[in-house]
Amino acid sequence: MEKHNKLYVNKHERYFLRFLDILPSALEKFDATRVLLTYFCVSGLDILNALDKIDNKKREAIINWIYKLQVVNEEEEVSGFQGSSTLSTIKNKSKNSPLKWGHITATYTALCTLVILGDDLSRVNRKAIAHSLKKLQLPSGCFTAAKEGTESDMRFVFSVASVCYLIDDWSGMDVDKTIDFILKSISYDNGIGQEPGAEAHGGSTYCAIATLALCKRLNSLSRRQLDGIIRWLVFRQQSGFQGRPNKPVDTCYSFWVGGALKILGVYDLIDFQENYTSVILTQSKIMGGFAKWVGLNGDPLHSYLGLAGLTFMKLEKCQLNQVVPELNITVNAFQQLKVIHDKWRSS
Amino acid sequence: MSDSSSEENEDTTWVFYRDRPEWKDIEPLSQDDGVDVPVVEIAYSEKFKDVYDYFRAVVQQNEQSERALQLTEDAVKLNAANYTVWQYRRNILKSLNKDLWEEMKFAEKMINQNPKNYQVWHHRKVLVEELNDASKELYLTEIMLAQDAKNYHAWQHRQWAIKTYKLFDDELNYVDELLIQDIRNNSAWNQRYFVINNTTGFTKEVIEKETDYTLKKIEIAKENESAWNYLRGILLHDERGLSKNTEVSKFCENLYTSGCHSPFLIAMIVDMCDENVSKKHNDPNFSLERALNLCDDLATKYDIIRKKYWEYFANVLKEKAEGKVSP
Repeated sequence: MEKHNKLYVNKHERYFLRFLDILPSALEKFDATRVLLTYFCVSGLDILNALDKIDNKKREAIINWIYKLQVVNEEEEVSGFQGSSTLSTIKNKSKNSPLKWGHITATYTALCTLVILGDDLSRVNRKAIAHSLKKLQLPSGCFTAAKEGTESDMRFVFSVASVCYLIDDWSGMDVDKTIDFILKSISYDNGIGQEPGAEAHGGSTYCAIATLALCKRLNSLSRRQLDGIIRWLVFRQQSGFQGRPNKPVDTCYSFWVGGALKILGVYDLIDFQENYTSVILTQSKIMGGFAKWVGLNGDPLHSYLGLAGLTFMKLEKCQLNQVVPELNITVNAFQQLKVIHDKWRSS
Repeated sequence: MSDSSSEENEDTTWVFYRDRPEWKDIEPLSQDDGVDVPVVEIAYSEKFKDVYDYFRAVVQQNEQSERALQLTEDAVKLNAANYTVWQYRRNILKSLNKDLWEEMKFAEKMINQNPKNYQVWHHRKVLVEELNDASKELYLTEIMLAQDAKNYHAWQHRQWAIKTYKLFDDELNYVDELLIQDIRNNSAWNQRYFVINNTTGFTKEVIEKETDYTLKKIEIAKENESAWNYLRGILLHDERGLSKNTEVSKFCENLYTSGCHSPFLIAMIVDMCDENVSKKHNDPNFSLERALNLCDDLATKYDIIRKKYWEYFANVLKEKAEGKVSP
């Protein structure tokens, strides 16, 4: 499988390291989500077994920068991590100020990044975060990403479930209401949409299934629903995976759809060779990184998800660290998290 | 073309905020990452830095003014994905009691330039809610869907507007049009289900009508997963199930006998067999044995990429028949 199309491990390593330093101005559109980019790069390096390429000084800087994005604001109930330093100035350093609000996906990726880098999460104000999460849940069971000003859909349901799991505190989520929202979002074709009535989509199906796994509620699915979801997921494979019926294949769905199958314990049902070839053809052999489609430039999201998706297939020639599909961090990072949880639970 | 040239004009006549006399009273505030080693730093353009330095300054003092409103416009044009800027802009619109129909035009322009951006669509939604008027939403989403008929954001917005403001009336005609343009448009098929599910529901008559409609579409494109999935969607509401709707089962048998080997057709017959066996109907035409043979055909001839899946599914069927798994 890997004979003619090898994975350019060193190139990808350099790609992530480069992005961890400086991005060109052409990527200003990512300015509000720099934490997400950091997570892609750090977790990507973890998959490549290259975390040691981040020197100690840099590692400390990343950890400190992320903690500076933490908001503890129990009065406005907007605790969590911000997505970037857009609002940070020398004047308002570590002070609450207008619109300095946590964002749930930023909180999820910030916590993951800290864990991957070996931080013990001791500076995370878990209580404040759990408390603010309650503000994000809607009567439907769905979640918004911040107290005000964001849309609501399955992405944020997943982000909240991940944060609850990471901080080992589920008091911020009404789990029954969440499950109800997920079950109502199962489409007539057995895939799962971003919300009830919306078209089934690989990304939202992953978010829903991962949430069920994190809540330990996969058993909420009936046998018929489970069979249907598995069928819908395996039918997304064309060569690589598409996100919806009759749409083109895209690198990131090898993770979203593959991850959902992995969580359900049936990843082995896919055609490995076809998936591998399809993903590998989108890698840039010169710059490193993966793109959505062959011929496009790579980007951090597809680079990370392309690689994470490849870890589900045990490759023979290169040692990639396996990713735990429901949390999207490596097995090593997951074990570190378990150590942190054990410590919290025993104290 | 006209859009890009006006943008160019804007750039050549651009005056930095730091050089604008009406901003003299404001001290710009630089972004402070608070660490001395770069972490995913962006090499901002001079314009970006200038605009956001003034943005930070006005947010810090929570200034609600015309000039701050103008500044947020420049800030979202530089990064439409900055949800904080949008939220601040909405706060200002509210406190200055601005004409939200003017803002609707701005939102439309931004959607046009960023059709797959979550924040612009959300902004539009908030405006529609504030105005309590969704009369322009069908038109807007139609324009956007004419550019990309599967734009998930546009569909979500359209569904929301239709459901919230009861705009179902002409929707099935619109879906028809889209399916004539592209019979494989899965979003349109989904919309068809959405409309019926929220209006008439799948009554006996509707099931019949929709079945006819879908079977005709399948005849045109037999390997179209979207239509097959929709057919299954209809049959979810048919108490007879998959195999006892004779119109459908006859259609499938005829198609199969005519030599069609669409995986979706064969999968449908497999599922008919599965249902027949599970419900102990003992219809010899839909036997376990036939299902297993068809799974084998799929695995080895007609859907090879899913070879392992069809082998697995054959096993599931066998185990179900032996009573090892609940149906």
